[in-house]
Amino acid sequence: MAIIRGCNLPEDLYYYPEKHIWLKALGGHLFRVGLTPVAAKLTGGKLTAVTVRAKNIGAEVQQGKSVATLESSKYVGPVPAPITGIVKRGNDKLTADPNLVVTDPYGEGWVVEIEATRWEEEKSLLLTGSEGLAEYEKKLEAAGISCS
Amino acid sequence: MADDKILIIMTSGPDTPRRCATPFFFATLATAMDYEVTMFFTIDGTLLLKKGLADTIFPKSGGKSVGEFLREALESGVKMTACTASLELHELKVEDLIPEAKPVGGATMWQMAEESKIVLTF
Repeated sequence: MAIIRGCNLPEDLYYYPEKHIWLKALGGHLFRVGLTPVAAKLTGGKLTAVTVRAKNIGAEVQQGKSVATLESSKYVGPVPAPITGIVKRGNDKLTADPNLVVTDPYGEGWVVEIEATRWEEEKSLLLTGSEGLAEYEKKLEAAGISCS
Repeated sequence: MADDKILIIMTSGPDTPRRCATPFFFATLATAMDYEVTMFFTIDGTLLLKKGLADTIFPKSGGKSVGEFLREALESGVKMTACTASLELHELKVEDLIPEAKPVGGATMWQMAEESKIVLTF
């Protein structure tokens, strides 16, 4: 568990720093995907809706393309796929409580599970471990972002 | 494969302030879903593209101005077009509009509609 600029960012996860997305390896090429507290901060507070795109379930989505949308009173934006892969399922709990993404980002607030189809090619774009987090910290510093 | 297109035709304007923010909100949301979104402003909707005017309209007292919703839509990549006939309706010149608004004729609206997966009118 590492606290970087006031943001809780566990070392054993992968990160897609551009959009503050985390990935957790579940085994094989299956990954659980969610948003870090940085993303939660940037949305400006309480989320009113997190909608996983139903037509993507079972389909392959390219890295960077939207798998879900976030809505708060201050922000509307996409959750892009951090890796190319087949979207296996979305988190149904977000329908009733979208703010789980903010209140429990690494637990009940995950967004989708993706089975990576280009992992070997794309993993180098992700950050992980203490080195990866050091790089993420530099990016946050450059952008003037902190969670505190 | 190219992203699907959406066209939002906006006919509501300053006389009905509560109707003026949601279309921009839906447009922004659609770009977050990777749609390619164009808004076509006509009738009273064109007034919202007049420089400075959208900032004076509030769907909810004390809330965000329509101008803020408009700028969020532009930042997310929504394209904005203005019906040239409606410029005449309101005695507006192209120079009176925000620079991001592209003036187009009515036939262009039909062309955009033909090319769009979904067309919404507000």
